[in-house]
Amino acid sequence: MDLIEFFGNHTFRMVFFGTTVIGLVAGALGAFAYLRKQSLISDVIAHSSLPGALLAFVAAVAIFDLNGRNMVSLIVGAVITGTLSALFANAIAARTKIRIDTAMAISLTVFFGAGMILLRFISNGPFPGKGGISDYLFGNASVITIADLVTSAIVGAVALTLMLVFWKEFTLRTFDPLLSTMLGFHARVIDTLMFTTIVIAIVIGVKAVGVVLMIAFVVTPPAAARQWTSTLPGMVALSGAFGAIGSGLGAYLSIAMGNVPSGPVIVLTLFAIFLISLLASPRRSVITAAVRRSRAREALRRELAGGGTEP
Amino acid sequence: MSFIVGTSLLAVVSALACALPGVFVVLRRNSMLVEGIAHAVLPGIVVGYALTHDLNSPWLIVGAALGGLLVVLCNEWLIRTGLLTGDAPQGLVFPALFAAGVILISMDFQHVHLHTEVVLVGDLNLAAFHQLTINGVSIGPRYLYVMLAVLAVNVAFISIFYPKLKLGTFDAQFALVLGLRTKLLNTFFMFLVSVTVVTAFHAAGAILVISLLVVPAATAQLISRRLSTMILLTALFAVAGAIAGFWIAYVLNAATSASMALFYGFMFTAVVLINALAVRIRRYRRATASSVDAYRRDGAMSRLPAKPADALAVPMTREGTEAHDRPGPAQSPHAAE
Amino acid sequence: MNAVPIACQTRNLSVAYRADPVLRRVNFSVPVGSVMGIVGPNGAGKSTLIKAMLGLVTPLTGTAEFFGHPLDHVRQRVGYMSQSTTVDWDFPTTVIDLVTMGTYGQLGWIRRPGKAERARAMASLEQTGLVDLASCQIGELSGGQRQRAFLARALVQAPDLYFMDEPFQGIDAKSQEAMVHVLKDLSARGKTIVIVHHHLATVRDYCDHVTLLNGSIIASGPADEVFTRENIQIAYEARDGAEAFLATAV
Repeated sequence: MDLIEFFGNHTFRMVFFGTTVIGLVAGALGAFAYLRKQSLISDVIAHSSLPGALLAFVAAVAIFDLNGRNMVSLIVGAVITGTLSALFANAIAARTKIRIDTAMAISLTVFFGAGMILLRFISNGPFPGKGGISDYLFGNASVITIADLVTSAIVGAVALTLMLVFWKEFTLRTFDPLLSTMLGFHARVIDTLMFTTIVIAIVIGVKAVGVVLMIAFVVTPPAAARQWTSTLPGMVALSGAFGAIGSGLGAYLSIAMGNVPSGPVIVLTLFAIFLISLLASPRRSVITAAVRRSRAREALRRELAGGGTEP
Repeated sequence: MSFIVGTSLLAVVSALACALPGVFVVLRRNSMLVEGIAHAVLPGIVVGYALTHDLNSPWLIVGAALGGLLVVLCNEWLIRTGLLTGDAPQGLVFPALFAAGVILISMDFQHVHLHTEVVLVGDLNLAAFHQLTINGVSIGPRYLYVMLAVLAVNVAFISIFYPKLKLGTFDAQFALVLGLRTKLLNTFFMFLVSVTVVTAFHAAGAILVISLLVVPAATAQLISRRLSTMILLTALFAVAGAIAGFWIAYVLNAATSASMALFYGFMFTAVVLINALAVRIRRYRRATASSVDAYRRDGAMSRLPAKPADALAVPMTREGTEAHDRPGPAQSPHAAE
Repeated sequence: MNAVPIACQTRNLSVAYRADPVLRRVNFSVPVGSVMGIVGPNGAGKSTLIKAMLGLVTPLTGTAEFFGHPLDHVRQRVGYMSQSTTVDWDFPTTVIDLVTMGTYGQLGWIRRPGKAERARAMASLEQTGLVDLASCQIGELSGGQRQRAFLARALVQAPDLYFMDEPFQGIDAKSQEAMVHVLKDLSARGKTIVIVHHHLATVRDYCDHVTLLNGSIIASGPADEVFTRENIQIAYEARDGAEAFLATAV
């Protein structure tokens, strides 16, 4: 399929731009989750946004008589349960002897379990527009509407703007949490802001990518970007770029390959970018590091093994 | 055996088979790694199913379990490269493997028909569909016996290697100095976890199988002072949650694993709250008791020896000066760190 | 060469973390029956030295020998007391269980600890003054009691040679007293002890031999010959802490 044909098709355009926006926002903000060493919380948030998105669907249909799958109510609902799940996991880890990894697993399964029960409830109920509601699991980029695209672009832009406005605070909190508290920045406020932006980045992908695979959009681009740069602005920019490129390319490939869901193909594209970065980046790659290290160790071994003993 | 009895038994046996290795998963802080394993087995299951057309085929189980082990080994390798920080290594490999599985399914690979919902949360009723009959009498779902076999293997493994698993989990360095190579044991254990996940996949799916593995053990950990107690309580919570979850699902017409996950979550939260309440009451009693003691001493009303507030306060008073720098048993253990 | 038999020694032992050398060509030996203090500033590689000897860290070059054999042949004669910060104290286990773990090496892969092992564990708790706390969950112990529990776990093995990593780190007076008592007792019974120690002022109280370490051996031998002002100054490169100590003590 050539590019003119590709961009001439409305659905293809929507898929391409929709996933690119998601990749860009999730990649850029994922850099902070990565540097805060809390990449996996994004998996919890993504899975836990399912019950929120579904409750929002029910509320929109039953109370407001709207299109149940409109992006605004989806985002509101998903942000609420996604945030609750992260708070729940952190509260367990802080207040009991349960460690954070187990706390995350508990939170994730409880919220996702609730989501699956809701999903069954909706499928069996008399809700207009319930068809395709299970697309929230693996996403379906081909149902993105212009309104959806505009909404996610605006919300994503708000999250990115927040990040730029609080750039200094975010940076300090990421690299030196203690110092930032001492300097009087309210740690709680900044953490809340930072995680709100990350939650937003995750939930705008629910419709197109689905809750199950969103983690890859948040974790993979920064891990790849880290292999090429060691500054924070470089990280955020490159990670956003990797996210956008990987998503756009993946979307194109999924359509070119025929009847293949775009979310999983994008995940594989992102993973390929990560592998290439890990294996071939000039400064930190596995290969060069391994070669350099073994050379240095060998030199050291020769130096230390020879020449008898020190006094 | 009636269908409903057989199916509920299947729920109980699956819950037990997952929960027992879960004890060590939780204590080793591998819970999210198991999340990875549970996703990574999908491509193996799809390919295996295409080849054998039987989700219970031993070839499929072992093959897919190797996919789960791949996540464990890749995670270790990525950490060793020193190029990634935090928990990112755990989150990189499994989405790619899972995505590959989803693509295989969507391409109608070899006509494998796995519904997406089944992939994520399983379908207990479907799993229990094939009944085993002897002389025309049903003796329950065939899958029940597969799960029983996995349960037996897990019980055997844990009981045979119990001391070494315990030491390797608690203090791997010390085990090494004693000459016990726990690394191999650890890898084999993760393989067994992977096998358990693959087998339970049919009943609980990729995501909710984690609930079966992790939540009963975490609930038990809250109130256990010894590993043996923790294992017993884990089994108890697993069985109770399976039965309750099964009936809730039956009434609500929901996926069994989803209502089990929800019920496990409620059970965990309830134990957290009850435990916190008990701690508060104990602390309150001790505070009143010690103010009474102070009153007795200061008021010189009585020369009676001060009594400890309750049995748990006894160690606090045993060593005089040391009581100050020790966190009381009633306090959160995190206060010690 | 000394006529006293050697409990353990290293030959040309070097350790590198990635490509950065931590220990360079360490050669030292510990005579049987001595209490050897390994002393040096932070980052001198003290813990790394005993970890490399015990096979917990892979050495870059060199070997370690215990009673003239590689470690694998004489594991039962070697005991290790690690720093108590290395484990999870929320782990659901009791003090007596923790101490019984010291017998697992002798039990091999399949056998369980029985009455005999429990009795030995109880005896070690007796020695370290923790009998009353035997059935406590380990998280209920204070810092000093945790160290004593680790000491008891090493004692239960009844080895001839003990490696102790900072046993006096952050402990209370009572625990210190109990620990010193055990050390004196072991020493009196002819056991050999290697202690990583960072508190210069008390080195002479516990150790009769000293190894001054800072990446490589500065000096090693009887405390009287080795623990001198000059050597300490070299090892510490005249740092503040050492200066203060030198001004008051030696």
